[in-house]
Amino acid sequence: MIRARIFFTGVGGQGTLTATTLLARTALDAGLPVTSGEIHGMAQRGGVVESTLLVGGYKSAIIAPGEADVILGFELLETLRALPMLKRGGFVVGNSESLQPVGVCLGRECYPPLTQVLDTAKGFAARVVMVPCISLAEQAGTAKAANTVLLGAAAACGALPFSLDALTRSIEKYLKPKLVEVNRKALALGAQAAAASQAA
Amino acid sequence: MGKELLSAAAGETLLLLGNEAIARGALEGGVRFVTCYPGTPSSEVPDTFFRLSQGAPYYFEYSVNEKVALEVGGGAALAGLPTLVTMKHVGVNVAADPLMTLAYVSAPGGLVLLSADDPGCHSSQNEQDNRIYARLGGLPCFEPATAQECKDMARDALLLSRRIENPVLLRTTTRVNHVRGPVVVGEMPTTPAEKPFHKDPARFVPLPASARVMHTRLRALLDGLVAEADASPYNVTSGAGDVGFITSGVSRNYLADVLAEDGLTGTVQVLELGMTYPLPENRIADFLASCKKVLIVEELEPVLETEIRALAQTRGIAVEICGKSAHLPRRGEFSTANVRQAVRAFLGRPAAVVDTLTVPADLPRRPPNLCAGCPHRAAYYAVREVYGDTAVYSSDIGCYTLGFLPPFRAADFLLCMGSSISTGAGFARASGKPVVAFIGDSTFFHSGITGLIDAVAYNHDILIVILDNRTTAMTGHQPNPGVDTTIFGENPNPVDLMALIRACGVEPVKVNPLNHKATLAALTALSQQHGPRVLVAEYPCPIHARRVGQAKKTLPARVAGDPAACLAVRDNLACPAFAMVDGAFTINAEQCDGCMFCVQLSPDIKPGKKEAK
Repeated sequence: MIRARIFFTGVGGQGTLTATTLLARTALDAGLPVTSGEIHGMAQRGGVVESTLLVGGYKSAIIAPGEADVILGFELLETLRALPMLKRGGFVVGNSESLQPVGVCLGRECYPPLTQVLDTAKGFAARVVMVPCISLAEQAGTAKAANTVLLGAAAACGALPFSLDALTRSIEKYLKPKLVEVNRKALALGAQAAAASQAA
Repeated sequence: MGKELLSAAAGETLLLLGNEAIARGALEGGVRFVTCYPGTPSSEVPDTFFRLSQGAPYYFEYSVNEKVALEVGGGAALAGLPTLVTMKHVGVNVAADPLMTLAYVSAPGGLVLLSADDPGCHSSQNEQDNRIYARLGGLPCFEPATAQECKDMARDALLLSRRIENPVLLRTTTRVNHVRGPVVVGEMPTTPAEKPFHKDPARFVPLPASARVMHTRLRALLDGLVAEADASPYNVTSGAGDVGFITSGVSRNYLADVLAEDGLTGTVQVLELGMTYPLPENRIADFLASCKKVLIVEELEPVLETEIRALAQTRGIAVEICGKSAHLPRRGEFSTANVRQAVRAFLGRPAAVVDTLTVPADLPRRPPNLCAGCPHRAAYYAVREVYGDTAVYSSDIGCYTLGFLPPFRAADFLLCMGSSISTGAGFARASGKPVVAFIGDSTFFHSGITGLIDAVAYNHDILIVILDNRTTAMTGHQPNPGVDTTIFGENPNPVDLMALIRACGVEPVKVNPLNHKATLAALTALSQQHGPRVLVAEYPCPIHARRVGQAKKTLPARVAGDPAACLAVRDNLACPAFAMVDGAFTINAEQCDGCMFCVQLSPDIKPGKKEAK
């Protein structure tokens, strides 16, 4: 049985929870036992949104530091912040693009560079794949599909316990018909970007 | 989750949020009457009932507050209907008065009270453990751990309640309310048999003479339920050996994963408790007698631990009992991490070494913030302009509590729902300082109005700013008595907030907070008066307006002049639509709601489609 603890992190409004539920449905359709955790409430007001997906028979729906086989980071700073959750030898698949928190916007804090994620995870993570999710989503038709771009990247680099095809089927099955095409494109663009980054 | 929650046939598997599963379980238990006051982490239960309410076989209401919700629900149960009442843990405090007598009076139709507790204070002002209320009020208590159990226990709690005609507590925690997992659904019942009300004042009116009899009856009922708890399928023993663990609620999950990952499953005994009150005493006593030592794993208060220690002493069972410790504290949430260390310490094994990456402690923070276009931002800005730090700000519970943060710093103290007016009044009377109380429309109806009546009756010197955004925004835009519109259209019976305030004895001043000049003028005038004063800052929450299709089409704001000249606006409003791009101030057109408040503060910001190049 495949067992995986997947930790999702992003900013309110990025579709982190939608992506989590889509992966949970995909796992369930693949016949895998699954449990998933979310936190609602204060976090939705532009704060950090974290969620979890545990596949393969875990009973807990939360992930403790050092336990995540995979981190899916929907925003650069939040990906960096979540790195202590990663298990040695785990995967990090993240959005290389950023959303400024208010302290950065007001000039009181400094936004960390992309290289800080790469440098921190180097030698600890099995692989770190960062793709420009928002730009690729815009290319697919809407910036709102950035979450799907990230899922495409994660599936393509083997971070998820199911295939890109399984995700495509979930998109067709569970998203509103008018959103299917743009999300299919977004998924493919994410997969291509991940493949290109692995080749590089 | 849409209509399939109602239509799914027995045996189907649905992927459900714990709270959706509770709704389905209550429906399978035959629920016909649902009341609530929303509050994280309980809100998706009533929201699910509300969304599915049209043509549904139950009555539903978002009650004015938790006390009213439990009283209305209690009335329905007296009239014979299977009833569900939902609230967050601190809401049970509001409902505590009826709750403490409900089990005396009984609930013939059946009544389940959902108490959604919040260990770790994810979205609450405290982390009280409401299992204690089950003991205090005489309510059998269920503690689910998975989405499936949320469904099953909600059903079985309601069926039990109807059978014993006593209210039952369904006690969840944040991680259980917000788990999402597969749920195999069961049969939906046909209409439950009628239980007509027969007048019997000696049974239903707790005058002292009757109350003594009622209490005796309740204790006998609960004593009789011990056998039921002993035999409950939710109380399960597994494993072997003379080392035991007793655990309840979500801790059961953490313990199971830790035992599995440490290769201990089956080599130790585990007693998992899902029905925890009345305590399954005989089952626990047998378990204790079969062990040399036992570790009790439960979040928050040592409720089971205390009762189990007493049980061992009463029954004369010689067993070493361990419980709360540095690894299993009385505060905060548990996880596999702390449970693993507790298990290892208990077994005398070396502590787990956690191999993790570290990141700088001073990464930029991302606190929740008032949304772009939020009318509260404009109200806070104007109040600060008039009062600065000279006033003391009494805050309340809602989105506007986020005014706590800079640049507004508009919260100096806060107790609970509705406290801003009364606590502010007491502070003003005692200190002689100017006090401004902020309260939302839903919170005002909930329990702010009593504070206003007190302020009028005793002429307290306080300015009350009612931040009326025409919805209950923080918990997910539920309707409140004052709203104009819900997802189902116009509110047929809105309560007139202005008339209500007037009837209390204050002539309120109403402004649109996004009209800066008018708001500033009103606040300046009010700041020069004394006694109880009310400013109603009314403008709909933009998210709510979009949801009910009433958002006005607007242009985003843009920097038309010198970006460097806009920095004061940036610092004073901290709007999430503001950004610095290559060192220059800009307004993100995607994020901007078009409220045009910043436009009124700077000649360099104009309405328009594009940023100036």
